[in-house]
Amino acid sequence: MPAIRNQIRELRALREMTQQELADQVGVTRQTVIAIEQDKYSPSLETAFKVAIALGVPLEQCFEYDSRGKR
Amino acid sequence: MLTSLSYREKTLYASLAAELVVYGPYFFLHQQNSVNKVAGMIIAIIVLQIILQSVIAALTRNRITDERDRLIELRGYRAGYLALASLMVIGLSMLWFHAAVGHLRLDSRMVGLHFLSVFFGMLVVADITKTATQIVAYRKAV
Repeated sequence: MPAIRNQIRELRALREMTQQELADQVGVTRQTVIAIEQDKYSPSLETAFKVAIALGVPLEQCFEYDSRGKR
Repeated sequence: MLTSLSYREKTLYASLAAELVVYGPYFFLHQQNSVNKVAGMIIAIIVLQIILQSVIAALTRNRITDERDRLIELRGYRAGYLALASLMVIGLSMLWFHAAVGHLRLDSRMVGLHFLSVFFGMLVVADITKTATQIVAYRKAV
């Protein structure tokens, strides 16, 4: 289980936003959005804030930290 | 498949292909090495890289790179450095061993070419290690 998990896929689906649209708003590649959604890559704090802003939710609604998870 | 790759990933595949095409014969064809041959390969790899990278840049609309690309790039350079440092120790040990047992005469005129071949080979392997590590990191999505 990864240490940082996220709800990006669900939040994005609610807004009918594509991965490419989110990537363009955040300023990353679509492949990076895919990696974040699959919990394979933990973004920097700056990118995490940008994702939360793009999805219109607070950071903690987008990302959660599990201290027992793998870093 | 190509459309699912990011710009950086496409450039890495092109780099790896160019490296294997140009450097492959150096390792797998047992020909007489020479300074001119090494210089020719360096020129060939530069020309091939310029052509391939230009084509990829022209065919790719979205050419942005982000923090994940930079992280993967750093991992590649770390792997390349470790490969280079390890090969340097092994290569120098082998040169010393061959000189010690008499297979290689350090005062011979060919010794410069031996050193050139060994060090060039190390650089090539380190470069391929760097590129391959980056491709693996992209495929693992890390």
